[in-house]
Amino acid sequence: MEPIISISNLCKQYGEKTVLNNINLDVYPGQVIGYIGPNGAGKSTTVKVLTGVIQDYTGHVQVAGKDLRENLMDIKRMIGYVPELAELYDLLTPREYLHFTGTLYGMEASLIEERMVKMLDSFGLADNIDQRMDSFSKGMRQKVLLASGLLHNPSIVILDEPLSGLDANAVILVKELLQRLKQEGKTIFYCSHMMDVVEKVSDTIVLIDKGTIIANGTFAELRAGSGESLEQIFSKLTMADNLIEKAGSLASAMTNNNTNEQL
Amino acid sequence: MNKILLYLIMLPAGLWKRLGADVTQLKAILSVKLKMDDRKPLTMGRPQSDAKKRKNKFNSTLTFIVGLFIGFMYIMPMIMFRSEPYMGLFSFYTMLTVLLTFGLISDFSNVLVDTRDKLIIFPKPVNDRTIFLSRALHIFIYFFRSVFPMSVIPWILWGYLHGWKGALWFPIPMLFLTFICLFLVMGCYMLLLKLSKPERFKDIIGYFQIAFSIIVFSTFYLGMPYMRQTSFLEQFDIRTVEWIKYTPTYWLAACWYWVEPATAKLSGTGWLSILAVITPFAMLWVTVKLFAPSFVRKLSAIDGVEVEPVKRKVKQGSKSKLHQTLGNIFNRTDAAKAGFSLAWLQTARSRSFKMKVYPGFAYVFVYFFYLFLSANVPFDELMETITKKDFHIILLYMTSLILLSAITNMNVTEQYKASWIYYSSPLDKPGSIMGGAFKALWVKYYMPFVFIVSAFVLYVWGVKAIVDIVLATSNVTVYVLVIMYFGNRYLPFSMPEQMKTKVGKTVIRMIFALLFMGCMGFAHFALSSLYQEVAMWLKLLLTLLSLAALWTLWDSYINTSWQQLKMAEDAA
Repeated sequence: MEPIISISNLCKQYGEKTVLNNINLDVYPGQVIGYIGPNGAGKSTTVKVLTGVIQDYTGHVQVAGKDLRENLMDIKRMIGYVPELAELYDLLTPREYLHFTGTLYGMEASLIEERMVKMLDSFGLADNIDQRMDSFSKGMRQKVLLASGLLHNPSIVILDEPLSGLDANAVILVKELLQRLKQEGKTIFYCSHMMDVVEKVSDTIVLIDKGTIIANGTFAELRAGSGESLEQIFSKLTMADNLIEKAGSLASAMTNNNTNEQL
Repeated sequence: MNKILLYLIMLPAGLWKRLGADVTQLKAILSVKLKMDDRKPLTMGRPQSDAKKRKNKFNSTLTFIVGLFIGFMYIMPMIMFRSEPYMGLFSFYTMLTVLLTFGLISDFSNVLVDTRDKLIIFPKPVNDRTIFLSRALHIFIYFFRSVFPMSVIPWILWGYLHGWKGALWFPIPMLFLTFICLFLVMGCYMLLLKLSKPERFKDIIGYFQIAFSIIVFSTFYLGMPYMRQTSFLEQFDIRTVEWIKYTPTYWLAACWYWVEPATAKLSGTGWLSILAVITPFAMLWVTVKLFAPSFVRKLSAIDGVEVEPVKRKVKQGSKSKLHQTLGNIFNRTDAAKAGFSLAWLQTARSRSFKMKVYPGFAYVFVYFFYLFLSANVPFDELMETITKKDFHIILLYMTSLILLSAITNMNVTEQYKASWIYYSSPLDKPGSIMGGAFKALWVKYYMPFVFIVSAFVLYVWGVKAIVDIVLATSNVTVYVLVIMYFGNRYLPFSMPEQMKTKVGKTVIRMIFALLFMGCMGFAHFALSSLYQEVAMWLKLLLTLLSLAALWTLWDSYINTSWQQLKMAEDAA
């Protein structure tokens, strides 16, 4: 089977600093890739390359057999993206915002309306459809973002911390949704720090640190019979210092050296 | 209004399409942006009150009236060169171009390179030309809204002077002029964006804005001494300055050839009107076709700069920085010190603040040189002339523009939501933070100018000018404090800035500052015309009164309560 996303020798530099260092990765149709790594590892930069936000990289990225640089618009149409920060025009209502994003994908107004109502209803936002989003909670915004990422029925879904701010019920809903999307044959590129969710939903887990992929395989392969959780594997591979010691020094930093008094 | 303008802007949809834009997407983006501009964001979760809505309407009316006033001030060349319409129009268009270009640079240029929506629009299948055009046309809509009131009185006058043909003709070159100004500035920015390294781009833009403002104002002000000489105007013959036919503003004036070909004194220049028609389209074409293709790529890279961690140990109890030392000197309470530090650091690092405020610095320097060159006489003679008059008073009040510009821009920011910190902190009254921030900007931006200008004034006008320096410094501070107290009483960096509030902001501020300086200057000159001793005593008395007013106002400002702040925000 041909990979739907093929990344080879991907490098990206900001001035002197190398953010992505020779990334090589193949993602196959219908796969759920858990893309994890510590803060500043290069996860968001990879996602921004895939979504066409960053274009000055070196190396090759192919999506559905097409070169990303050459076919940027075609590839963007195939991708649904939910960014990490709840970035949306919050002065608009969900209806106005989703109509706007749907129009950018060339969708008919009637189709946008039909899908939007169904999606927002499923997310429990039917009553808020005509309310301005600047009064929304983080979770409500996240739901609108999820709807906007899926509205045009993309074949590749890129999710950057999609569960951020969601309540427990919404988390279950999204996890279920991911399974349904997978069954429909959609490819999901899932970036998160929530290891338990990544562990459960991903077919393949890719661990990136300092711009380099340091592990790539199924959860079972990464464990290699050690019985460790993904969190423990992550910590072992990416953290040089002792976390317990660090927590101790953090706690002691709040205490006054001379008097030990609390404010 | 915006709906009509959107409709008009989408009329040449075929042109936008030929330039490579997706018309449906372009319309969707513009429509959403305009809709958002019409909605005032919530500040700390509070909706817009009716009083606020009324105030917005009042501000729009005021902006319109100020626009009419500016237009009225610019009709002078049309009347002076009544018999030479080409020259009258050339002068009018040139003066207006200077004003509009400056307004574009200081009020709108950061909209073009705004990267706030990069995660919303950039990942969608929208090409660079559509994104660029959506921004340029978004700016154009607001630019047009500020140009329109400025052209009303000149339009009426032209109709009165040249009949219905003149009235029908007038808006056509005005529209070309608007496009030329817009794409001149946009084109320069796009060229800079194309040539510079993305990580340096915003810094380069800052320098460019300052340099451009100085060039524009220098050209204008330093050319003014010639224009002001009546003999120069009386003997003026357009044929002695034939080179003006190479300037776009003359091409616009040459469009009058369509109505009255016989009045062209520069023979054979009627065909130049074709250039007036072609130039805006050529500029549009060059900007969109040549510069826009790498627009999104470059914009994305602007904010992507990450800094290498500094490999050094954090020293405990290290030496205080300048802002901390000054903060401790000028403030008593911790809250005021915090406000001082925040304002000092934010204004030093916020590119958006620098882009809005720094170009205004050009005024003082240019005016400084203008003072010397305007007399057009040898240096010794000039010194003798200016020391006889109280020119230094104007110079002293001119510095108010810097303080006014810095302080009124201190409250608005893109990250206004970060102001939750004030509300969650155990702050007794917000006035102390506001007072600290005010002092920071006073010390940082005003004091150095006062020192430089005072040194110059004392050198030229002697020690007797010291009373003027104290009085002017106190008056300027009172003036800016009054503006903050009644119109801008907000916490630092806590208010969102909206596109529609930007319209003509710099120009309006200039007008008010000039009016203020005019009034103060007049009062000072009036005092100086009295007997020297009487004048001196009066100045001393006024200084005391001014300082008393400053003390009272300051006390009230720094004691602003949460309740008063809420009322001020609601009324804004």
